[in-house]
Amino acid sequence: MHSHSSEQTKLTLHIHFVWRIVFAFLMIVGMYVLWTSPAERESWQKIIVTVVCSLAAILSIYGATQINKGNHSGRMIALLLDYLGFATALVMALNTGEIFIGIDALGQTFPQGIPYLGIVIVGYFLGSLDEYLPTKKATSENSLKTVGRWIMLLGGILFLWQIEAVNGAVYFFSKLIQPLGIASVIAIIIFGISLWSMSRPHIAQALGVKTGHEQIINGWLFLSPNLLGFLIFFAGPLVLSLYFSFTDSDAFNTPNWVGFDNYARILNVRFALLETPTQLAREVVDIKIYDEVDRFVIGNTGILFAAADKFFWLALRNTLTFVLFAVPLSVIPALILSNVLNSKLPGMKFFRAVYFMPSIAAVVGIALVWQWLYNATIGYINYFITLGIEFWNNLFNLAIVDPKIQWVSDERTALLAVVIIAAWQTMGFNTVLFLAGLQNIPGELYEAATVDGAGAWDKFWGITLPMLAPTTFYVVSTTTIQAMQVFEQVFILMNPPEGPNNSTITLVLYLYRSGFQNFQQGYASAIAWVLFIVIFGLTLIQFQRQRRSSIYES
Amino acid sequence: MKLQSYRLIRFLNNFFIYFVLTLFAFIMLFPFMYMLSTSFKIPADTFRYPPRMLPRDPVTIEVDGFEKPLPLYYVEINGEQKEFALAQSNIKIGIYAPADNLSATVERRLTEVKPTGGATNQQTVVVNDKEEKLFDVEVDGQIIPMILISQTTVGEFINPENPDEKVSQNVRLSTPVESISWHPENYKQIVELNNMARALTNTALVTILVVIGQLVTSVFGGYAFARLKFPGRDTLFVFYLGTIMIPFVMLIVPLYQLMVVIGWTDRLAALIIPWIFTAYGTFLMRQHFITFPKEIEEAALLDGASRFQILKNIIIPASVPALATQATFTFLYAWNSFIWPLVIINVGNEKNHVLTLALNVLRGRASDTPNLILAGAAIAIIPPLIVFILGQRFFVESVASSGVKG
Repeated sequence: MHSHSSEQTKLTLHIHFVWRIVFAFLMIVGMYVLWTSPAERESWQKIIVTVVCSLAAILSIYGATQINKGNHSGRMIALLLDYLGFATALVMALNTGEIFIGIDALGQTFPQGIPYLGIVIVGYFLGSLDEYLPTKKATSENSLKTVGRWIMLLGGILFLWQIEAVNGAVYFFSKLIQPLGIASVIAIIIFGISLWSMSRPHIAQALGVKTGHEQIINGWLFLSPNLLGFLIFFAGPLVLSLYFSFTDSDAFNTPNWVGFDNYARILNVRFALLETPTQLAREVVDIKIYDEVDRFVIGNTGILFAAADKFFWLALRNTLTFVLFAVPLSVIPALILSNVLNSKLPGMKFFRAVYFMPSIAAVVGIALVWQWLYNATIGYINYFITLGIEFWNNLFNLAIVDPKIQWVSDERTALLAVVIIAAWQTMGFNTVLFLAGLQNIPGELYEAATVDGAGAWDKFWGITLPMLAPTTFYVVSTTTIQAMQVFEQVFILMNPPEGPNNSTITLVLYLYRSGFQNFQQGYASAIAWVLFIVIFGLTLIQFQRQRRSSIYES
Repeated sequence: MKLQSYRLIRFLNNFFIYFVLTLFAFIMLFPFMYMLSTSFKIPADTFRYPPRMLPRDPVTIEVDGFEKPLPLYYVEINGEQKEFALAQSNIKIGIYAPADNLSATVERRLTEVKPTGGATNQQTVVVNDKEEKLFDVEVDGQIIPMILISQTTVGEFINPENPDEKVSQNVRLSTPVESISWHPENYKQIVELNNMARALTNTALVTILVVIGQLVTSVFGGYAFARLKFPGRDTLFVFYLGTIMIPFVMLIVPLYQLMVVIGWTDRLAALIIPWIFTAYGTFLMRQHFITFPKEIEEAALLDGASRFQILKNIIIPASVPALATQATFTFLYAWNSFIWPLVIINVGNEKNHVLTLALNVLRGRASDTPNLILAGAAIAIIPPLIVFILGQRFFVESVASSGVKG
């Protein structure tokens, strides 16, 4: 390896300096084009691009001066900007070549390739088989591995052939040959060369690289795919959601800023005193604005609760009712079951696996199954109730009438039907969590209690429950967060989804309706933030309770 | 305490434990069993009350002199139960009695009986102040005028071995002879009827790409968080942690608008790309990598290995269980997701449907054939179950440990 003369290094650094200035200039040109081009763009998009571009331009100029001074921070800035430019250009190129949209075409040809994917898997298992075989001769193992590798390769090639990868590649390049695509490719090459040059050791040394810098660069590099995706598809939309909640966005037209109007509409409620429990709502509130949500009857009078958006409050009421029933119903049996499962008898792992099964099945499928179980005339649930009632009637000579419950079409039981499904589905998951918590309790505590003459019941209240408190907190809060978002069960089980007399309209269902059926996306965003605040509040309350109880413990 | 009674108590205790566990296992498994058994039934069998677990078909038999096979029913002859074939159904039977002795009834087919005095000039008689028509009914060779008291419909059942041996009884009240028979063709039918095959392969494609993509980004991200020191790392990690609690529905509106801007609405890409980058997966990977002994890495670094080589050759091979867990988690999440595909993929665009969407369509389309709907549900539910059974050793343990740490 020939050493690089200081002349060469100096020249390279000088080129980097110029490149940084050019880069900043290009950014400014880009901004100018953005604001002067006739193409219609949303203002928030323009603002985001402007902020990004001006930041890049300023950073680039600062980086140029640092490179000129021979500071390492200049190299860092150059690497960062070139990397981001490289990534952007790459995504642009892929997008121009319609790689992302092309996944749809892959969906078309993928079925033909699946059998060959099977060959790949067979090859993999064949190759990994030798780890399980008793060690014989080294050669035979190696040959098995080689055979496996060849089968994998063959299967892979056949798979690519079957999904028409060649056609896809040809299509990609044919699409790439247009101004934007060619520009992207050129940008990829320029950024790539710049990155490669900056990462060469003699350049790094010329700019005074230190040992810690390697970790900084690798750290950001390794994190970058995740971080960029996270910013674009999570953090960015989260901020946008807050913005939308203050607009009248409808997904198609330019959103207008409406301030707190969305929140005001949600929170616009009235309480009114009723003279008689059956007094009509229009006598006490202005029904042009308010709709009756609920009335609370107290003796001969009552209180009427009316809201400008009654569906939101119905949804909130239903969701909280759902949480109030579904959480205990899935947590308390789980606590009992985990204690039973914790006995060191054979077969416990089998039961644990069986209990876990409902929580991994698709909620949509499960809801369809339960829909038929709940069927009022032929469903198993009513059949079991009938059998039970007959049994008790015969046993005690009673005459209990079979209720023949119309589970999903009766507004009194519709939400209960959803609660039962949710409890059934999350119980096993919670059982496994509790079981893990139980297995972390030191056995000596129980032994000491036994010596002190404590019974099983005392041990449960005195040791198990307090020691399980952190697990219980985790279980209750995750179950609550899940339950607050109940949607799929309701959407599939009920027809229409809001249930008889709006008895199963939930917050997420109402959010979906507002945002994607009525296309009031600004309002839907406001609902989302209210939902978040409610969830956050509930979690905070549980956290406070848990902390207080753990203070008592110590 | 005597040893004997101690043993008895322990036996009762264990018996009680297994009783409770089995009861709950039944509750947990019953909907799955119901789904599977119903998906193999014929439609008529699904609507039967009381419901039965095993799928059954009515048995038919070939009888000489009949073109089509005849259905078999149980009939009672002289207190003996026999299997007879239904030769003719919907036979109208009249119950006749003489006007002066209404309790002496006889049953005759309506076609065998002629009106007394001819059809145009039928004689009548007054019984209980009501005028009743008279019919000529033959009893033991004699023709006696009788009135029609009531009508029923019966079927004529014949002995399949001896077609001349006949017996009549009400068809609806007779029990058909049935045999247990499974109808796997329901699955074939649902796959053809409802674009289920495409939905299945689409779901597989989406799930595979999400699992691979998410593993890659979270392995790199998790390693950076766990092992590489860089300014801002810890702040960023706290930020990641904080977002884990945020429910997905918070993002659904802005993410939808983002997809509109990029042009990914109605595209499979929208179901894949946003799901590749998760805070939760990165967090899990970081938690795993942080337990990995530092010394091995330092030794490799001294030998001149790059960070990428360390990750590829040392850390990933040693992390297969953690990766398998994460892959299983992601698989289940991607396979079962519903609200995002519902928002992004148009109902009419069936070629981009995933299973959950296909089920949602099927629910409305085949609402009178539960066997087909539940076959569809089984197609959506069984693959995750298989993945769970294969990966449950890692998976259940890791769910448990995540809860304890959390």
